[in-house]
Amino acid sequence: MAPSKFDSRAARMLMLLGRVGLGAVFLYAAYTKLRVPWAIFAMSINSYQILPEPLVIFIARVLPWLELVLGALLIVGWQLRYVATATSALLLGFFVIMLRAYFKGLGIDCGCFGVGEALSAQTLARDGILVAVSLALTVAAFLRERNSKLEIRSSTA
Amino acid sequence: MRQFGRNVAHGVAVLALVLVGSAQAAQAQSGAKAATTATDPAPVKALGSKTAPITVEVFSDFQCPGCKSLYEQTLRPLIENYVLTGQVYLIHRDFPLEQTHRYARLAARYANAAARLGKFERVATAIYARQQDWSVDGNVDAAVASVLTPAEMKKVREWVAQPAQLDLSIDQDVRLGGRVPVRSTPTMIVTHRGTTYPLPPGGVNYSLLRQFLEELLRR
Repeated sequence: MAPSKFDSRAARMLMLLGRVGLGAVFLYAAYTKLRVPWAIFAMSINSYQILPEPLVIFIARVLPWLELVLGALLIVGWQLRYVATATSALLLGFFVIMLRAYFKGLGIDCGCFGVGEALSAQTLARDGILVAVSLALTVAAFLRERNSKLEIRSSTA
Repeated sequence: MRQFGRNVAHGVAVLALVLVGSAQAAQAQSGAKAATTATDPAPVKALGSKTAPITVEVFSDFQCPGCKSLYEQTLRPLIENYVLTGQVYLIHRDFPLEQTHRYARLAARYANAAARLGKFERVATAIYARQQDWSVDGNVDAAVASVLTPAEMKKVREWVAQPAQLDLSIDQDVRLGGRVPVRSTPTMIVTHRGTTYPLPPGGVNYSLLRQFLEELLRR
């Protein structure tokens, strides 16, 4: 049987690059936050002027670890459908609040990879690309799963 | 199971390549940062003990509203609770944004002149307190005169009238800021045991700063 669209060698290679690339970005993002005291990341979150302080502190303490776990799971490829969905949701959330801050002209740091990177059109474009890659990976992971189920059914029929 | 094992192996191999590349890039970047960190203290515009475990540098512009609120809501309690208790050495750095703030350099000149008399803190407080007034008409003199004696004021006016020396100090701070680099005001940089932590612009409040300093002091 010829390989289906989502099982071809090229598709598998693209998915591999996508999930490892995203995983590496998440691991690096986690590393840049965890290597400095958590309050610095809290200040970055606070600069977006969205959340009350207790929530800012909670997210500053939890988010880097979540990024670390998601990054590791993306690289390992375990339960890719769900991990990619969670990654897409997180990246979409980042993208929306970054857009809001940019258009409000807050003049703050992105906070994506530690301090020192201003929120700009470039950082928005980069985040937009990450969102696109993550959404594509999510869709591909679901389609591949569906195809493999169909193949099992047809071979057992 | 074999598929999962293959997934992991592929993932780890590609990641290893990515990590080698990014580690080299990060090394190059951190080297560049270490060479531009501003640490030399300017005693006349500093407050507290030089031997304090933490140094906080603040690049600010007297005419910037964000600098005023940082000074009044964050730096005042910082001075009271950490600088006066010998835990923080606070350094003021001038970074007047002259393209947008017409009287920022003039205010910095008055503050630097007051620093020569050891009255920097008092004058800075007055300048910030009356920022809304002198930002309109440029009458920084009135704000400064409200907290200095006539004799002190006479000296300050003389220095401000011939500002070359004062500008040297201001320009030195601006050059330092350019090396950090300062992209907006206020910008805060905290140094503890040789490690420098630039703080994110616009996100510093006293509560978070206090928690950050406490964590550094516990180390």
